[in-house]
Amino acid sequence: MTEKTFAQAMFDALSISMEQDPTISVFGASSFVLGRGLPPADEKAFIAKYTTRLLDPPVSENVLASVGVGSATAGLRPFINFGTSSFAFEAHNQIVNEAGNARYMSGGQLKVPLVYHMFHGIRGIGGAQHSQSPQSMYANCPGLEVVLPATPADAKGLMRTAIRSDNPTLFITHTKLLATKGEVPDGDYAIPFAKGEVKRAGKDVTIVAMSLMVLEALKAADQLKALGIDAEVVDPRTVVPFDAKVVIDSVKKTGRLVILEEASLVCSVASEIAAIVAEQAFEALKGPIIRVGRPHVPMPYSPSLEAFCTPDAAKLVDAVRKLLKK
Amino acid sequence: MPEIVSREARLSLLERMLLMRRFEEAVIHAAAKHKYIGRNHLYIGHEGTGAAVMAQLKPGDLAHTTHRNHGHIVGRGADPGRALAEIMGREGGLCGGRGGTWHMTDTSVGFQSTSAMVGGSIGLATGGGFACKQLGQGNVSVALFGDGVLDEGISYEAFNFASQYSLPILFMCENNEKPGRRETSMLAADRLLDIPKALKIHTMTVDGGDVEAVHAAVGEALARIRKDQVPVFIESQIEAWPGSHQHKPEFTTGETDISMAWDTGKITGPHADWIRQEPILRYVRKLLAEKAAAQADIEALDKKVQAKMAKARDFAEASPFPQAEGAILGAFA
Ligand SMILES: Cc1ncc(C[n+]2csc(CCOP(=O)(O)OP(=O)(O)O)c2C)c(N)n1
Ligand SMILES: [Mg+2]
Repeated sequence: MTEKTFAQAMFDALSISMEQDPTISVFGASSFVLGRGLPPADEKAFIAKYTTRLLDPPVSENVLASVGVGSATAGLRPFINFGTSSFAFEAHNQIVNEAGNARYMSGGQLKVPLVYHMFHGIRGIGGAQHSQSPQSMYANCPGLEVVLPATPADAKGLMRTAIRSDNPTLFITHTKLLATKGEVPDGDYAIPFAKGEVKRAGKDVTIVAMSLMVLEALKAADQLKALGIDAEVVDPRTVVPFDAKVVIDSVKKTGRLVILEEASLVCSVASEIAAIVAEQAFEALKGPIIRVGRPHVPMPYSPSLEAFCTPDAAKLVDAVRKLLKK
Repeated sequence: MPEIVSREARLSLLERMLLMRRFEEAVIHAAAKHKYIGRNHLYIGHEGTGAAVMAQLKPGDLAHTTHRNHGHIVGRGADPGRALAEIMGREGGLCGGRGGTWHMTDTSVGFQSTSAMVGGSIGLATGGGFACKQLGQGNVSVALFGDGVLDEGISYEAFNFASQYSLPILFMCENNEKPGRRETSMLAADRLLDIPKALKIHTMTVDGGDVEAVHAAVGEALARIRKDQVPVFIESQIEAWPGSHQHKPEFTTGETDISMAWDTGKITGPHADWIRQEPILRYVRKLLAEKAAAQADIEALDKKVQAKMAKARDFAEASPFPQAEGAILGAFA
């Protein structure tokens, strides 16, 4: 174990992968983890080593996403970084219609082993166009895997799985996580998809969160503890495929479910989780399922407005207290 | 690039064109007989282009096409029975009935994909070109598309990308636009070629009704692509088939009668002008005039193709619809 930043953990996974597999090329390398506090010598050596496999393409998200599909079906394993997730909307047709559909509509002849990486979330003064959290939009499209790591260790292990997956994988990380630190196992390891983790055990209420919201949920759990509420924090880690069991097992234990989501709640991942639990574990519930997320408006710019719209530990604490009437 | 001189090569080119034509005729007949069959975009009239391209691709080269794809698929060597079965939604289809007319793929013959998105093939082929370059085995990637693709923003991005990274790609545009009659694109530039040219892509124009002219242009382009690792754009100008309408083709010109090539008196009716210069009859006339083949050779070739299509039709008709429960499988590896 070594303490590392989230950015460094992703860099490690990418380095190991590129070392092992010469078919990996990275598009948009410099806006990914480079220049984000990595040891300068490591960064320099990496760039020098992979001159033909690190590309900084024109600002052409549409064709870039399509180049990913065309080269993946032809035998490469492209890693495509769009930067801010809203830029990937330029490429929505390619991601949904080409990447997600290719395998199925070819009757299994094609495989699309590619990773689309993007930064989601409310980063501060991003305004409406640089604060998107599009995870549920992708989850709604068959054929796409959707991954949202919360910790450096998860980022490294899940990225190893994403790169080795034969499916197109949306690897969605939060800009605010990049500098966060955590213990990361040394060497090579992979975390399977559809395998969530209980980040904090508790018995009174289940809080489900992903990505940056896991950190907010853990903060909230500490505050709730002081109020005598013992919260369990569950991180499913991948939206597609989804680990329903880790959530349901927890709800069966606590009887209460609050879901914290950074996106608008309309047709959100939180809504999906609520539906799954209502369908499969209704009798375990002692009260209504509560969702906490951003209001259904474009993200405003002004700090006071932005703070009002940003889901966080305080809003989660309020919701849990209301639910438990404490 | 050498013109085709050998008699065998010329007859094989004609055979490819005939297969494309007879295949589409089978699609029309099947559509009349069955309820569920996609026949929106037929390849009739385009054969000179597809045959010239497919005759010159090597194993390992990657083809990506668009909605007007049937001719391309069978021209590259996909089994016509399985292709027809796919269009008819059958289990024995190339993609097990999961793709249909708009998404036919046959990786066993290097046919990577059909995208029904206008502009789909051009981006995918650019990715194919990137893969060919990275893998370094001397293969090329081909994008087949219509003039409408130049209306889509992705064409600009793809040309720029391919040019910047010097990718081995043939951009093969089948321009069947007919101003005032059949408008499938609206470009403010004077010519389609102006767009790729502005991005420093070598461009060529060719008469798509003259299969040997297309063959020569494609041959020259492929040689250049392979040698210099650069993209080339060819515009093949096609006289659109009068039966081709956006959503529902009509069999206006009837079944092709190959003897019309020498018995021109048989060509009558409102579409006589199109029939007179359509690429297959035109090529037959050329082969006869240059004594590369006799009428009997042509008739024998057509019979051979028709027999092949009869078998293909039997296969497709006999193939069952897929087991419904299988629909939920196969989205993920
Ligand atoms: C992205 C997208 N927009 C619109 C359509 C509807 N559409 C189907 S065919 C077609 C015309 C395409 O013209 P062209 O590319 O020249 O091909 P042609 O049919 O003339 O061979 C259009 C607009 C589509 N399939 N995809
Ligand atoms: Mg057209």
